Amino acid sequence: MWSQRVYQQCTYCVMDTTDPEIVFDEKGQCHHCRSYQQKVHKLTYQGKASDHDFKLLTEQVKIDGKTASYDCVIGVSGGVDSSYTCYLAKRLGLRPLAVHMDNGWNSREAVKNIKTICNSLEIDYVSHVLNWEEFKDLQLAFLKASIVEMEIPTDVAIQYALHKVAAENGVKYILSGGNMAGEAILPRTWFYYPKDSKLLKSIHRKYGTKKISTYPTFDYLDEIYYKFIKGIRILYPLNYVPYSKPDAMKTLEEKLGWVKYGGVHHESMFTRIVLSYLQPTKFQVDYRKCTLSAQICNGIISRKEALAQLENLSYDPDKIQEEKAYVAKKFGLSLAEFEKILSLPPKSYRDYPNNEKLLDFLYSTYRRFWGDERSYHNAGYDSSS
Amino acid sequence: MFRPRVIPVLLLKGQSLVKTISFKNERYIGDPINAVKIFNDLEADELVFLDILATKERRTVSLQFVQDVGAEANMPFAVGGGIRTLEDVRKIISAGAEKVVINSFAVEFPEFIQQASRNFGSSTITVCMDVKNALFKGPRIWKFSGNRSSRYSPIDFARIMEDKGAGELILQSITNDGQMQGYDIPLIKEISEAVSIPVVALGGAGTLEHFKHAYTEGFASAVGAGSFFVYQGSKRGVLINYPQRSEIINCFQ
Repeated sequence: MWSQRVYQQCTYCVMDTTDPEIVFDEKGQCHHCRSYQQKVHKLTYQGKASDHDFKLLTEQVKIDGKTASYDCVIGVSGGVDSSYTCYLAKRLGLRPLAVHMDNGWNSREAVKNIKTICNSLEIDYVSHVLNWEEFKDLQLAFLKASIVEMEIPTDVAIQYALHKVAAENGVKYILSGGNMAGEAILPRTWFYYPKDSKLLKSIHRKYGTKKISTYPTFDYLDEIYYKFIKGIRILYPLNYVPYSKPDAMKTLEEKLGWVKYGGVHHESMFTRIVLSYLQPTKFQVDYRKCTLSAQICNGIISRKEALAQLENLSYDPDKIQEEKAYVAKKFGLSLAEFEKILSLPPKSYRDYPNNEKLLDFLYSTYRRFWGDERSYHNAGYDSSS
Repeated sequence: MFRPRVIPVLLLKGQSLVKTISFKNERYIGDPINAVKIFNDLEADELVFLDILATKERRTVSLQFVQDVGAEANMPFAVGGGIRTLEDVRKIISAGAEKVVINSFAVEFPEFIQQASRNFGSSTITVCMDVKNALFKGPRIWKFSGNRSSRYSPIDFARIMEDKGAGELILQSITNDGQMQGYDIPLIKEISEAVSIPVVALGGAGTLEHFKHAYTEGFASAVGAGSFFVYQGSKRGVLINYPQRSEIINCFQ
């Protein structure tokens, strides 16, 4: 699929030519960490200036939500970022409503942590449960489409659930756990807009077998509706505090009895296998490189430590067969059938009808006129749940 | 030390998990296999699955489903829904279930319980008794997912079932189902005192305290619940959960 390139890894962070668009300077430093140092760094915690901005923002959230039962909604997955966002919100005196999108892949740790967070912080909780039979068909269609963006159906449903619950409860703010400290580095080639409903429909039309009647849509029109008609804003509180995942985990464990996962986004059994196995083995897309690189830029870990972590396989070879067997069974497939789908040659979203040109235009225009850089977050990527 | 078993009772409608309030207002809860996986990882004592459409649609609970649960669950589980023949029982047991749950057919044809327990042993046969007040008659046993009343009072029916060789009774209050306001303690006490086989309290549990009441005041040998294990908080967001072992032990002390 990609043009062949000689392998090269950045001398400052750990990004490498598995991002086919990576550019290195004469010192061997890549454009990801250079742009982090030049631009993105300013969007993370900046001491007193961030404290001040955050205080104003928090006050605004409180004022705007005075008459409603809640002043913000937070998407919860049981993961560190969203759990810490809840903790932070309560500490600041906000009145959040927790929203969980259940796509049928919750792990024990996910449900335990959500329960712990909601009970110990006294946060009300609502859920949006996707119809599994439909969602299964959609997820399978994406696996058969053989593109790296296997999580688009999940990302869309999360956005829908958050906005719907916010609108229903008259809430103007969605607090996202998305943060520059851990997620600022993400190659364009590894992640396409989840809000492209044309792509979703064309993939389902080609590979789906069931009619979709309850699965929600969330595309740019919905985004415009919620943003401009309903006046709902997404805030990224973790960008206003000194945020490090390891420290946040420690705080949550000590103060709330939260449980640690094996890795990033392991609260969903599907996300776990996608991130740790499917994307790295099939597409040479290993998200650990992004997280580690961002952490290097942030001074959370050294490059040496990061390289040592990357020496390990992204998945546990002893458990992967068992995990695959579970995923196959949940999709109603035999292991052989599932393996066959996984071994289809990799494709790109560009192989399917999509709205890329329109979305590129819309998002770049939006950013030019309304772009608050701090709220700009990886071209629509949002890990609020 | 003895403690009552704590059992999630899950309702199936087709391939969906649902939860009712007083046997009505079914709400979609999610994929049953994911729920089994979570309950398994959280080490639930036991599970009960009831297919609430099977009798109405004149079929038995799906054997494929029973197998799928068996593959995922390390704990014993019971399955009910439309069971009317010894062959049904045999198939469900060989598909991996520990016990079968019989409701409507036990009311229509109590002799079946005798046949079934003779063939498969009492410990395999659980009878689910759905209780609700019938107009002018007081509490009666209902069949067809609470749609039709029968002439049996709970105590008469419980004694007959014990007599026929049922190994266990699930005593379910239709009125309290899904309310999360507590069990029907007087009913549980009446039945537990009338029979010597285990009685599983069901219908109304919303807190750990309720489990305790069923045990200390109602003398139930096990406690079952639906909503308690699938909802979180006062807004009833769906979240499969099961208390930690220590919480359960503390609860019954």
